[in-house]
Amino acid sequence: MAASSTALSPRSPFSLQRILRWGLYLTPVAIFLAIFLAVSSGEFSGLTSQGIIDTLLFVIPLIIILLAGALVVQFLLFQFLDKVVKTPHALPYTLLAPAVVALVLFMVYPLIFNVLLAFSDLRRETFPCYSSVLTRAPDLDCSVLYSPQYAVENFTKVFFRVRDGEIVRDENGNPEFGRLLRTRDSTFPILLARTIIWTLVNVFFHVTIGMALAMIMNQKIRFKGIYRSLIVIPWAIPGIIVYLTWKQEFHAQYGFVNNLIEAFGGQGISWLDDPFYSFVAIIFVNVWLGIPFYMVMLLGGLQSISMEYYEAAQMDGASALQRFRNITIPLLRPILIPAITLDVIWTFNKADLIVAMTNGGPSESTNILVTGLYNAAFGTAATLEFGFASAFSIIIFIILFLFAIIWITTSGGLKEIYDR
Amino acid sequence: MSAITTARSSSSPDGLDWKQIRRYGAIGLVVLGALATVLTGFNLGWLVIGAWLGLLVWHPFHAILIFYSIISIYPVLRVISISLRPTSGLLSRSLDIIPPGATLDSYAQIFSEEAFLAWLWNTIVITVTVSIIGVIVAATGAYAFSRWRFPGRRPALIFLLTTQMIPAGMLLVPLYVIVAQLGLTNNISGLMLAYITTAVPFSIWILKGYYDTIPPDLEEAAMVDGCNRMESFWRIILPLSTPALSIVFLFNFLGAWAEFLVAKVILVSPDVWTWSLGLNDLIGTFNTDWGKYAAGSVIVTIPVLLLFTWQSKYLISGLTLGGVKG
Repeated sequence: MAASSTALSPRSPFSLQRILRWGLYLTPVAIFLAIFLAVSSGEFSGLTSQGIIDTLLFVIPLIIILLAGALVVQFLLFQFLDKVVKTPHALPYTLLAPAVVALVLFMVYPLIFNVLLAFSDLRRETFPCYSSVLTRAPDLDCSVLYSPQYAVENFTKVFFRVRDGEIVRDENGNPEFGRLLRTRDSTFPILLARTIIWTLVNVFFHVTIGMALAMIMNQKIRFKGIYRSLIVIPWAIPGIIVYLTWKQEFHAQYGFVNNLIEAFGGQGISWLDDPFYSFVAIIFVNVWLGIPFYMVMLLGGLQSISMEYYEAAQMDGASALQRFRNITIPLLRPILIPAITLDVIWTFNKADLIVAMTNGGPSESTNILVTGLYNAAFGTAATLEFGFASAFSIIIFIILFLFAIIWITTSGGLKEIYDR
Repeated sequence: MSAITTARSSSSPDGLDWKQIRRYGAIGLVVLGALATVLTGFNLGWLVIGAWLGLLVWHPFHAILIFYSIISIYPVLRVISISLRPTSGLLSRSLDIIPPGATLDSYAQIFSEEAFLAWLWNTIVITVTVSIIGVIVAATGAYAFSRWRFPGRRPALIFLLTTQMIPAGMLLVPLYVIVAQLGLTNNISGLMLAYITTAVPFSIWILKGYYDTIPPDLEEAAMVDGCNRMESFWRIILPLSTPALSIVFLFNFLGAWAEFLVAKVILVSPDVWTWSLGLNDLIGTFNTDWGKYAAGSVIVTIPVLLLFTWQSKYLISGLTLGGVKG
């Protein structure tokens, strides 16, 4: 009755939904107008109305040229595929062309180029050799750009200390591990071990806490919606804001973490100045950041499990632990395994958090492999030896790739995805 | 889950009324907390702890959820609070949410003393361009994957998934070298193209999953009525998939809005910085401008938070769809 009457009633032109929708459409326009007006009043530093017009004159033609060019090229491609090659799949190939071109230009080509770079001697000094735009100094020797010799050197340097083309050995004849960054402790095995600890600890807490929260949220309790939207908030905040804010909150004197400890009579900790505690701090932040994702995922999974399984098991006298192990876990597997797979990959690659919070410090004690790479190439220990950095990044990728293959084949991880 | 359910049942086999016991326990803990507050010279923290422990005994689920909600929301409230502090009290060590003498000075300062508006403008230009082009590229590509079984489809789909595994650092070095070789450092166009590309695979997965749920009969009916394939895509599929398209738009938007590492490498000169680089610089300087940083981060977070809450249902289902169920 109620449903049919609302369906029949004419929609008011001023319904809340409609106002909201138009408000949403108009917001960008309003923001633009506000910025433009604000700028022309001249009280703001850094941006002039001329600057705004300049960027628009640069960006709008760029978009139009890109889109129009893509349309023309797609049309020609379709004619070519349809009339000359005569494939029955001319249309799908044409539709995919822009994505393929973008991926090839900005994903595949850089990856191939990365391998090529590992075969090069690209450093700050030799950079002009590798560019057609930059001017070269007259005494720069550009005879050999790429050679296997360079690749051997670059890859050796990732693991071992090299001096004058020879691996440095200690008294017992064992090769010394090379410094990837400045300090002696920034060797490959140490960074790898730290990366593994970082990944394991993070994923462990993500899964356990996320699971616990999801299980509590799956009970019949009040205010579920409010809890849910509060718990999801860390996920919605831009990552970089989260990192920088937590960096401030771990400040020894003014951050609220220490202020809270001291309010209860404890002794404050200088979090970001101590190797151990700064590692704890970044792990805490990443755990805090990752829990909402798991909670939402697992809650969705738990809600899809029928209560009848539990009731049947309870009748047969299964204990709570048995029910959890024999009903919840197996039925959650299709969600849990892909979620863990993704999480391991994300955590392993989580460079921006560490760069923003500690930048690998203090004294390079919180670097994992990816931040080691970032810092070796651009950051704190920037040697600007890009040949070496490429070799390093290839090693990292191989490690991750091996993990992914082993994990996916043993757990049947992404089977559902591939089967579709 | 069920372990706790049994523990919560009101009376246990040994005849004790646990509900009553828990209630008295809770009251006792609150009183203890109040006592500790008085004894420590009105340190209200003890009262809060006592009340929470009481709640933990009385209603454990709510206690845990409230505790976790506070953990997730307190830093956010703190940032808002710091942004309202007057300059003199910026380095105060208080834990108050509304600071004494709250002002909006920090908000005025970040616009007048820092180039915040320029950072915002650069970010908006990049983000909007990336979102629009990204959606167009992904929408057509996903349609091809959803409606045709062409040679190379499966490997291409698997390749799209594999791209998610590539470390950012792996692309960072070659991208930087390519950009520097072309003399394009400090140019936002290279950055925009890189963002579009990184967002495309995920967008295609989300959209393909959504198109798959639209029955092909609809298009066939339209084609019987004289539409060609592209017309039916334009008139039937696109209007029907507005929710998925808006998810993809949002996803591209959120990804580019707060990107940090690639931007840090490519945009070196301060006049082309995005806000993430600018705020990072505010924090990184020796004498931290905490108030300005907080004001800036509140401003850049509000639009994202609004979009997220407005679309959270779709966004989450979209993420789970694309990220896990394929």
